[in-house]
Amino acid sequence: MKFWRRFGAAGLAAIMATSLAGCGGAKATATEAGKEEKVAAEVPKFTDLKVGEDYTDIKADLRFLTHKTDLVDTTFQEYVKEFQKMYPGVTITYEGITSYADDIITRLTTGDWGDICMVPMQLDKNELKNYFVPYGDKTELEKKYIMLNNFSYKNVVYGIPSAGNVQGIVYNKKVFKDAGITEIPKTPDEFLAALQKIKDNTDSIPLYTNFAASWTMTAWDAYITGSATGDPDYANNGLIHSANPFEKRADMTGPYAVYYVLYEAVARGLTEEDPTTTDWEGSKGLMNNGKIATMALGSWSVVQMQLAGDHGEDIGYMPFPITVDGKQYVSASPDYNYGVNVNSSQDNQIASMLYVKWLTENSNFSYDQGGIPVCLGEKYPDVYKMFDGVKLVIDNPAPDGEETLYNDINNDSEVGINVSPEGVSKILEAATTGTPTLDELMADRNSRWTASQKKFGAIK
Amino acid sequence: MGKRLKMASHVAKWLQKGKVNRLLVIFTFMFVPLFLLLIFTYIPFVKMMGFSFYDMKYIGKREFIGLQNYVAVFQRDDCFKALRLSLYYIGASFVQMSLALYFASVLSTNIRGGNLFKGFMFFPFLICGIAVGFIFKFFYTRGFVLDTVLAWCGFTQDQLPYWLKDTSINNISIAATSIWRYMGQNMVLFIGAIMSVDSTMYEAAAIDGANEWNKFRYIVFPSIKTIIILNMILSITGSLSAFEPPYVITNGSFGTATYFVVMNKLAHENQKVGLASAMAVILLVIILAATLIQKLIFKYFFGEGEEESWRDKNRRRKRQVMLEKEGVL
Repeated sequence: MKFWRRFGAAGLAAIMATSLAGCGGAKATATEAGKEEKVAAEVPKFTDLKVGEDYTDIKADLRFLTHKTDLVDTTFQEYVKEFQKMYPGVTITYEGITSYADDIITRLTTGDWGDICMVPMQLDKNELKNYFVPYGDKTELEKKYIMLNNFSYKNVVYGIPSAGNVQGIVYNKKVFKDAGITEIPKTPDEFLAALQKIKDNTDSIPLYTNFAASWTMTAWDAYITGSATGDPDYANNGLIHSANPFEKRADMTGPYAVYYVLYEAVARGLTEEDPTTTDWEGSKGLMNNGKIATMALGSWSVVQMQLAGDHGEDIGYMPFPITVDGKQYVSASPDYNYGVNVNSSQDNQIASMLYVKWLTENSNFSYDQGGIPVCLGEKYPDVYKMFDGVKLVIDNPAPDGEETLYNDINNDSEVGINVSPEGVSKILEAATTGTPTLDELMADRNSRWTASQKKFGAIK
Repeated sequence: MGKRLKMASHVAKWLQKGKVNRLLVIFTFMFVPLFLLLIFTYIPFVKMMGFSFYDMKYIGKREFIGLQNYVAVFQRDDCFKALRLSLYYIGASFVQMSLALYFASVLSTNIRGGNLFKGFMFFPFLICGIAVGFIFKFFYTRGFVLDTVLAWCGFTQDQLPYWLKDTSINNISIAATSIWRYMGQNMVLFIGAIMSVDSTMYEAAAIDGANEWNKFRYIVFPSIKTIIILNMILSITGSLSAFEPPYVITNGSFGTATYFVVMNKLAHENQKVGLASAMAVILLVIILAATLIQKLIFKYFFGEGEEESWRDKNRRRKRQVMLEKEGVL
């Protein structure tokens, strides 16, 4: 039995390999389509599964690839133990991958990478069906869960968010108080003034960029859509179809305003003095004990900052300082999504679905990690109290037929929003040396973006 | 039964025959390394050559676009600009070789504690490149190791630059790490070569009144020429494809992105796999050309192995021609 399962997996891997080997086209899609139908018929829908009641005698060895290397030996092992109380026949092996975003794409191409992984962001939506098991119809799943847009294609969902993040700024309340900041800054210039106050009145580093870790820089890209515009259609529509989106706006909103904060903070000496040798692990402790005042990171970071020392109660989280027509907005977006391997055996797929469902509904993972809940109607962690009166913006999906347009333009232009730290890193480098100016940098972005927009027919 | 035994003994005899036996040994010994080489070097390389003709991502459909990727590499300004950084690493490799040669000539004499020093200096080569990167990241951090050591020498913090941020110096800082890492390995190769020099030559030279420099110039140097060429080719090839130090220490920021770092970024962050493959193929051609040029230069100045250098040959021929002319006159 085991032998045949292996053999089957190898066969599928071979099919994958040939379909990848360049002949591509019609033949490959035919087999993929056939497979998809087969899977859909055999594996029950995600919403119909009852964790703890269905398939309790199922036997499966699951391999789970994750980016959360810090939890592999601790929290996740407890999850596995909990899950095994209901499903003693299921074993789950976690594999933590340090450079997850880079490695997972290559692993996926082999087809034989394991059973559950976090769906990589770079994957185009029309490819999802070739790699992941569909969870069900989006309209049906949306009755229970939020933020399903990112990995849905043609009303079919392929990824369930592990947690939700909002994109704001993590800060140390005590430092703000010591510096004499009484009101949370709401515009870029107010924020820069607050940083200046921190520099003048305290010994803390006003804004720590964590430049050397490089992935941390992409956090700045995450603000440019919902947080900076308040428009849920901006990410998948406005940014793609408008001319020169990186241009400066008179009311200081939009992408330019976000990058302006970073550029000016660095240029005015409000960041750490040597960005090339910053230390991510160390920065958590510094934030906790007030040596660092603010950092630009998603809300997932709050819990890590709180646990990094004795002053967890000092850590606060605030919206990104941009006000659109007198109102503040904050992007809410899913963290990595769980995906189930389409090449796994049927038993493994069912067991994986059960585990993903358990993780989503029963593990409390999102709450424990300081994320916003994925299931509708669940409570928010305390840290979001600051967000009263701030509107959460969840990006709407791209219109039909344009599902891959954003990725196409983003990759082709090499602007690399959210996928490449280089664009943001360049802003910091330029601000350090003084050349080029932010206007020049944004003009360069605009011209590359426009060229790709034209190439893919997004604008005329 | 007897027939089978007879067959078996025939086969055994056939296998023991000198020629067959030798072939068999060659084949079995070569099989494993060749197999590994094929699987992990040549097949991936051929695949990559193939990729370079496609407009492709890791996942998704690919489109054959002929030589367009190669054209694009030449049209972009960041690719070849990045190659200029190799000059820093080539410079470093010369420093590294001269240091290695110096230590090798000192340590190849019967010096007390010589083996211990050899061990110490060879040790960095055994550390993996990523770890070396992390070591130096902390080494260059402001107020850390290097700054502290320099403070002992009387420098104040304000006089010292930011080793990795200052664009006038950061490439030198990073290239210096590869000196630290590879110097010991070069040295060990040199020591091996120097040890193989016949010691009676030194005695003869000493009797003729040669000093240490003369001994080095006329005995040691010509005997280890081949190893020097080898080391040099390896160093320069390595310089052109420098990747680990800038990738780990600065991630290519502040103008330290070498050709490989740019290539890695294009392939992984922008998903332009075809373009990155084309860059790799172009670099291969450049490295082959550089190796060839080096070999020719060496042949011209120093000759190869026992062979005389072209320059000397030319000079002698000219002298001969001159002499002949004078004789005629």
